Amino acid sequence: MGMVKDIFVGGWSLLAGMWVTIRRIYRPVVTVQYPRRYLEMSPSYRGHIEFKSFPETGTHNCVACGTCMRFCPTNVIKVQGEKIHTHSEKRASLYFIDFSHCSLCGLCVVNCPTQTLQFSDEYDMAHFSRWDGVVDLIRRLEESA
Amino acid sequence: MAAAWQKLVNFLGPDLTIIVVGLVGVLALVQVNALFLVWLERKVAAHIQLRIGPKEVGPFGILQTIVDGVKLVSKELITPRHVDRKLFMLAPIAIFLPVLVSFVVIPFSERLHIRDLNVGLLVIFAFSTFNVLAILMGGWASNNKYSLLGAVRSVAQNVAYEIPLLLSILSVLLWSNSLQMSVIVESQSNVWNVFWMPVAALIYLICATAETNRAPFDIPEAESELVAGFHTEYSGMRFALFFLAEYSNMLIVAAVATTLFFGGWKSPPFLGFLPVPGLIWFLLKTYILIFVVMWVRWTFPRLRFDQLMNFCWKIMIPLALFHLIVYAGIIKFIR
Repeated sequence: MGMVKDIFVGGWSLLAGMWVTIRRIYRPVVTVQYPRRYLEMSPSYRGHIEFKSFPETGTHNCVACGTCMRFCPTNVIKVQGEKIHTHSEKRASLYFIDFSHCSLCGLCVVNCPTQTLQFSDEYDMAHFSRWDGVVDLIRRLEESA
Repeated sequence: MAAAWQKLVNFLGPDLTIIVVGLVGVLALVQVNALFLVWLERKVAAHIQLRIGPKEVGPFGILQTIVDGVKLVSKELITPRHVDRKLFMLAPIAIFLPVLVSFVVIPFSERLHIRDLNVGLLVIFAFSTFNVLAILMGGWASNNKYSLLGAVRSVAQNVAYEIPLLLSILSVLLWSNSLQMSVIVESQSNVWNVFWMPVAALIYLICATAETNRAPFDIPEAESELVAGFHTEYSGMRFALFFLAEYSNMLIVAAVATTLFFGGWKSPPFLGFLPVPGLIWFLLKTYILIFVVMWVRWTFPRLRFDQLMNFCWKIMIPLALFHLIVYAGIIKFIR
């Protein structure tokens, strides 16, 4: 008698499984058609770092202190600053990162004294040359503005 | 056109004309069917997994399979060094030819029938057994442990599942009193066999899934264990022939199921007033059955080998035997 019961219980569970899959056929698909549509990235997504733009100044607030450069475990950040005149603040004039070595640890972002760094939502970063991974943050900010 | 046709019939004689035209038709049907079924399988799989599936080539991606076929034709036919060359080349042909023969006796509609042999069903099952031989040839000749294991499993599985398959159709044959496909369809003019022999239909469908080596019974080509099973070493058009044979076998088992259990070309009893030709009903039923087989494939995980064998020998065969005895009694009582 156990076998007959097994057959019915098993058969019922098979039907339940098929009911689950047949309902999926009419559900909307979750695939995003990548080259034509783009995903909205979640706020906690970590792409490479980029400059925040502050509305008061209309630009970044990097003072080229070099904290990020010194904290970076893989030394991928290169920052240089210049003073516009003798008594002014130093401002970043060059800011490069080599994203192909970046481990996205985020030490630069949390340690930035002016909090002008953030993670971007860039995710399609495949390239053909190792130099294509180098990102110029200042130019990126100017282009996005 | 009519004159040319008359010339052809006069030259070949009526019998040979039917065979030649029928074979050309079957060849076309096999190709188109495989193209369609591969696309359908990918679409069904995709939508069950909440994906989209092929959509780039042609409307709804329906031409995707043609593009894949062109790619396969253009590929090199690799013959590995230590294979048994003759058997290796023969296996894809041996798996594909019986498929064509089986289509000869399938009644697509009342008159669309290449040959209405009085042993029609026997022809189908005799020739579809060649499938096992071809798989064993391919697996053995490849000289590869995965191929051989896949072939061995396939033989064990097909030999085991043929028994309940044939037992389940015996009750249909007792009712129709004939192996002729058209007579079997005619015997269902009052009520389809599936309505009063549902267990036989179920056993047939399960065993047919196992016979065609489809999931959840696809252990001969279990990717996670055996790479690709018996056709691991095959490439290009030889691989395509295995693929073509698999999908054509699906069509055959579904067409036989339609003929045996679902009333063949007859319309459903309550839709008899519709002016739909029998061919449409036949194809509709067949493709619905194929859809069910695909649906099962994308729902259930693959069985382990011992589970597979236990299921056949301990459940299917006793059940089919019991069913046969009961229905033999019933049919004797009715007649």
